[in-house]
Amino acid sequence: MTAVDADSYASYSVTFKPNCSLTQSGKTRVVLLLTVIPCCIAIGFSLLGAWMVLPFVGLEIFALAYAFYYVNRHANDFERISIEGDHLLVERCTGQHVSQYQLNPYWASVVRHEHPNGELRLGLLAHGKEIEVGRYLTRKQLESLAEQLQKRMGKYFRN
Amino acid sequence: MSTTTATHHDDHAHDSHGHPTGLMRWVKSTNHKDIGTMYLWFSFAMFLFAGAMAMGIRAELFQPGLQFVQPETFNQLTTLHGLIMIFGAIMPAFVGFANWQVPLMIGAPDMAFPRLNNMSFWLLIPAAILLIASIFVPGGAVAGGWTMYPPLSVQGGMSVDMSVFALHILGVSSIVGSINIITTIFNMRAPGMTLMKMPMFVWTWLITAYLLIAAMPVLAGALTMLITDRHFGTHFFNAAGGGDPVLFQHVFWFFGHPEVYIMILPAFGILSTIIPTFARKPLFGYASMVYATAAIAVLSFVVWAHHMFTTGMPVAGQLFFMYSTMLISVPTGVKVFNWLATMWKGSMTFETPMLFSIAVVFLFTIGGFSGLVCAILPVDIQLQDTYYVVAHFHYVLFSGAAMAIMGGVYYWLPKWTGHMYDEKLGKWHFWLTTIAFNVTFFPMHFTGLAGMPRRIPDYSQQFAEFNMISSLGAFALGLSQLLFLYVVIKCIRGGEKATNQVWEGAHGLEWTVASPAPFHTFETPPQVK
Repeated sequence: MTAVDADSYASYSVTFKPNCSLTQSGKTRVVLLLTVIPCCIAIGFSLLGAWMVLPFVGLEIFALAYAFYYVNRHANDFERISIEGDHLLVERCTGQHVSQYQLNPYWASVVRHEHPNGELRLGLLAHGKEIEVGRYLTRKQLESLAEQLQKRMGKYFRN
Repeated sequence: MSTTTATHHDDHAHDSHGHPTGLMRWVKSTNHKDIGTMYLWFSFAMFLFAGAMAMGIRAELFQPGLQFVQPETFNQLTTLHGLIMIFGAIMPAFVGFANWQVPLMIGAPDMAFPRLNNMSFWLLIPAAILLIASIFVPGGAVAGGWTMYPPLSVQGGMSVDMSVFALHILGVSSIVGSINIITTIFNMRAPGMTLMKMPMFVWTWLITAYLLIAAMPVLAGALTMLITDRHFGTHFFNAAGGGDPVLFQHVFWFFGHPEVYIMILPAFGILSTIIPTFARKPLFGYASMVYATAAIAVLSFVVWAHHMFTTGMPVAGQLFFMYSTMLISVPTGVKVFNWLATMWKGSMTFETPMLFSIAVVFLFTIGGFSGLVCAILPVDIQLQDTYYVVAHFHYVLFSGAAMAIMGGVYYWLPKWTGHMYDEKLGKWHFWLTTIAFNVTFFPMHFTGLAGMPRRIPDYSQQFAEFNMISSLGAFALGLSQLLFLYVVIKCIRGGEKATNQVWEGAHGLEWTVASPAPFHTFETPPQVK
């Protein structure tokens, strides 16, 4: 999770990213490491006459590269909550798809859902509709986010 | 509230915490714990099936002469026993452990590709059916040994095709599973879980998955060439057409030797998890364990021809493979030393998982030493294809891999089921297995040294006593595993409630979740310090 928090009344923005333990350059290195040696093996056997190893290595490398490509598609997923004047905007990027939900901070409230297994989920509720937020966060981070949002929206309520 | 984008991609599906039930829960499951459970049950069923074949082999070898089966049937039993134990029992068992434990140990909610994970498991079923059904086709099951050397495999009947197809399917399952494990470990570790903080079991599986990625296409290539030689007029391995049968052996063992480590590295990971728990000390030399595992993996690709010392190769080649094989004992020795150092001055207790682990360290080391004996070129020329080799690889694969699996099952069973297993019965199972195992396989060193060849249904009178002892041990070993089944079923059905941590000395993320582990875990990643 990375959070960019401009803590002023005029604008507030916080961005969350899903947990991904491998960097972009790390992915490239891993794929290279995983492909170079099987390729060398296949080429070696081809030179000895056992060329049928080669297509299987090719297929496998294709599957491996596609798996990492698929994982990588979600590397840029994010969730952003921003408050600017009368607008509370929740943006969510999943794969190539971006969804935006706009709420009025005067009417929105933070709702907490405590699950029996100890999990906490947060939602922003306005006009009977609820948007889940902070899906990439740990419980501790969710508690902190709930506090921040309540504090921020409390200011609207008082005004 | 207004939505500014027209389409709303709702990916809340997995947020519903409903717990699927009934048969379809298992058929369509994408849950890593369910799939892990299915792998483990499948593996145990195959273990019993291939074990029953071993009972047939030992019944025939109880006395010299032909008692129960014809030589062709004996060869089929031997071949299928090997193939099913390796591809149907040991490998799926470790994949079952990986499914259960890797996400829990790294703080991931599931595997990276849950649907592929489901597919990997269900591919095992048609492969097992093909292997088993090959018994009933004209000519009987494949009988040329699990190595499927030509020319026998080129000349064999329809069962060879069925077995080759089964191995192809198992290869696809293994590769897909490996890709899944690699992407899971690299991409889904919890914040703070750096590579050098990962539990050793995860490290060993990461390296095993890499071995599978590198080795499996080689097997696929070898098997495809075998099929084209059989049906499409090629002559890769057919000497009559200018092919080279020894090329098959090179290609096969280039896969086959890493395969040995594919079956043993996860076992090392299990030992490295259990021993610190019951010694109540951190694993000694964690970093050296990681590097030793990687060194074993690398070396496993440059030793294959020690399986082929008698096929004829240049002296320089023989010497290279002899020394490279001996070199593997260095990282393996590092591991054994580290396990012993972990136990040294620890507050040790001897629950069933620890008993299995200590036995594995001891017995695997015997298997390792007999491997070193076989690595010595002039000695191997004498021992090639004798019962000494059978003793060696059973000390490595039964007391190394299978007994580590049993130890791992006892260790994690309370976390999986929420109940403690019956410790008394567990210890009975341990002692019966260990004693019976040694009674079965230790005499094979002597019969092998005296020159008894492997893969024969009849033998000279001089080997009768040792064979009778081996057979009695084997029957006891087989029966002991029914006790294992009983202990596991009893634990699933009830027993003392397991705590979350289960073992006093256990550390790691998997022990922070409830026992039994909930259907969904770590949906929000934990923070690792």
